[in-house]
Amino acid sequence: MSSRSFRSVFMVASCAGAALGCYLVSLRVASERAALEDVEMRIVLAQRDLRVLQTEIGTRGRLSQLERWNAGAFALSAPAADQFLKGSFELARLAQPERKIDFQAPVVLASAPAPEPHRPAVGEAETDDSGAPAAVPPSELLREASLKTETREVPARRVVELPSTTVKSTDKPATAAKPVSTRSLEKPGLAAAHPTGHNPTVTTASKQPAVAAIPSMKKSVDKPVVASTKPVTKPVRIAKVDPLAPLAARHSGNPKDSTADR
Amino acid sequence: MNAPSPALVAPRPERLRLVGQRRQLLAVMHQRLMFGMLVYAGVVALIALRLLYLAAFGDHAGRKEGLTALVPERGDIVDRNGDPLARTIDAWTIAIHPNKVIGDKLALARKLAELMPEQSAEQYFAILRSGRPFFYLRRRASPSLVEAVNAIGEPGLAIQREPDRLYPQTTLAAHVLGYTDIDGHGVAGMERAFDKYLSEPATRNEPLALSIDSRVQQALEHELSDAMAKFSAIGAAGVVMDVRTGEVLAMTSLPEVNPNSPGAATPEARFNRATQGVYELGSTFKPFTVAMAMDSGVIKSFGQQYNCPQVLAVYGHLVHDTHPFGRICSVAEIMEESSNIGTAQIADQLGTQRQKMWLGKMGFTGPVPIELKERGRALTPGVRWGPFETMTVGFGQGIAVAPLQLAMGYATLFNGGIYHPPTLMKVGPGHPLPPGKRVFSEETSYRMRALLRLVVMKGTGKKADAPGYRVGGKTGTAQKLINGHYSQTINITSFAGVFPMDEPRYVIVAMLDEPKATKDTYGFTTAGWNVAPVVSGTISRIAPMLGVQPDMNREPDMSQVMPFVHDTKE
Repeated sequence: MSSRSFRSVFMVASCAGAALGCYLVSLRVASERAALEDVEMRIVLAQRDLRVLQTEIGTRGRLSQLERWNAGAFALSAPAADQFLKGSFELARLAQPERKIDFQAPVVLASAPAPEPHRPAVGEAETDDSGAPAAVPPSELLREASLKTETREVPARRVVELPSTTVKSTDKPATAAKPVSTRSLEKPGLAAAHPTGHNPTVTTASKQPAVAAIPSMKKSVDKPVVASTKPVTKPVRIAKVDPLAPLAARHSGNPKDSTADR
Repeated sequence: MNAPSPALVAPRPERLRLVGQRRQLLAVMHQRLMFGMLVYAGVVALIALRLLYLAAFGDHAGRKEGLTALVPERGDIVDRNGDPLARTIDAWTIAIHPNKVIGDKLALARKLAELMPEQSAEQYFAILRSGRPFFYLRRRASPSLVEAVNAIGEPGLAIQREPDRLYPQTTLAAHVLGYTDIDGHGVAGMERAFDKYLSEPATRNEPLALSIDSRVQQALEHELSDAMAKFSAIGAAGVVMDVRTGEVLAMTSLPEVNPNSPGAATPEARFNRATQGVYELGSTFKPFTVAMAMDSGVIKSFGQQYNCPQVLAVYGHLVHDTHPFGRICSVAEIMEESSNIGTAQIADQLGTQRQKMWLGKMGFTGPVPIELKERGRALTPGVRWGPFETMTVGFGQGIAVAPLQLAMGYATLFNGGIYHPPTLMKVGPGHPLPPGKRVFSEETSYRMRALLRLVVMKGTGKKADAPGYRVGGKTGTAQKLINGHYSQTINITSFAGVFPMDEPRYVIVAMLDEPKATKDTYGFTTAGWNVAPVVSGTISRIAPMLGVQPDMNREPDMSQVMPFVHDTKE
């Protein structure tokens, strides 16, 4: 009964509800659309701003202006034809330094003089080492030799100079390897005799104890390959320092320095 | 007396009639009411439906119209790389409504004169008292000025934004672009030729892409204006063109005009020398004569001999040479030293009819084929085209063409012999390349390469060479016709070049009007001294941009010509 009497009310209510629902949907759609349009409008406004800014930048940096700046400040120019490379090979060729022949460099013969200059050089190195025993030299010899062959041109000049100063000293050990031993014995007497003929500095050097002389002796002695076989006898030769001292004196104060260090 | 009236007893016939009428009337009334109701219901239904429709699909209250897409007032013009050459922007405009001014007019006039000094306070005062409804004070005002004017606070002042045409590159390619009038309608150049396209709402959204390359254009303009200033020329023109497609990459005419303020330019500056001006371009025509003769079978090899005396007397006239041979010389030598006498004989052998036919095919006898409305028409001897005129046309006198036509001719000659009309529109998807038509044979085109390379390597055009780019070309020095006489001192010098010559891709034409001699040119005003260096400078700048690889080891097949050059200088 009641249901029948309220039927129309329900009908009206459901119709109204459906209509409201429909309206809400459309309202929702409309609001979404409005939001979308808002975004679209913002995009358009941003595009307009972009356009304005692009135009301004383009106008300020117009080509004629760039040309003027280039003429005044940058001074850039188009690359010349030889600045273009055809590929990676040409580029790689640029990276490798070109081998230049130095015509000013002295001519060095491959045969004789090359090994000789090494000896004094090695000797000097050894003086610096001071206490270095004879076992070291061979390896050092090898190293120095290889170094010198590598860069022939530049060190060649030094090689030429060295012989004048040091070759003499080297000559003696080679030739006077035996004399050295004799001299060592005679030292005191020779030393007394020498002062008259030689510089006073030599005498001072000679007067200095044998201990000081040991290293200087070693230099000369070590050079020959024989030295490696006679490490034990070396102390005996220490006394032979004096004969070398005069030579050292000729070379300016190198021996003195070495003695002073020790 | 009380007797019932007959009417009560029996209805009177008129009353019966009345009842019938009333019923009828009632029916009509009902009908009308119903009709009115239906109309009303219809209207209501219509409104309801409309409301429903609007609710479902219609606009809403907050909707902003007209901003859904960025469509400029007038279409942009861009170059082939998309760089803008012309744009429409919103510019501030300051105007005044003299009737609406409420403040002290004299004080306002003083204030305006202070802010915008282009007019005096008296003039502003006169404007304010004129009683006219509206007056523009300044278009394209700067924002700072707008702010200052706004600060005056006078309600009679109108400050608004109006669309305004801006050319960001100022004078660059001004003669190609043209300019618009104050209402935004094109009155010159491409603005005029494509006015409809640029202003139609349907098409203006898409920018108009030109074939111009602004970098090439800048290089050409710079080099030409330098030469123009150096040699005190009264004018200059230049064209760079793609040989294969006929696209104009750069085209300039000097003195230039600033399209942002075209009113300030002289009529002389507005004249487009590249397309409107026709000139007798002289020796640059000689390669055409040789090519025509080769294609016609008159010349079989570049070693063909001609007698080249000091002066050639023909048909009652004398033909002179600047560097007379005075001996027998080959075609290669005639080209190398730009001999009028030799070319005249070749043209004579070719004959008037064939010359006319060839020139017609190459487009040298009609109007300049280009989109611009500012275009000239080639001048030919016309009815007086006899054997002597054939000779003079053969070496470029007596025929006047526009520099663009010359470029077009060279493009035809060196792209394999196919004519493509020059175009200022970028050839691409929207604008396909129209089919060309054959003018010269492919072999002639190929063999001519060596001949023109020879001119630059050893002949009159040495200064046009750009190392590595294999420039070939021809100089042209023509005497200017002044009051009906050829001047001996005033010249028009031109150079038409093609590069790279072993595989031609671009043609360049440069022209100077009335160049003067300088110390550097040792008193010469010939093309080899003033305009050839322009070509060299321009090519060395633009070729790398255009993708032409420089190569010092490549050359066209010079064995075609070298055996026939008798080198007297060594």
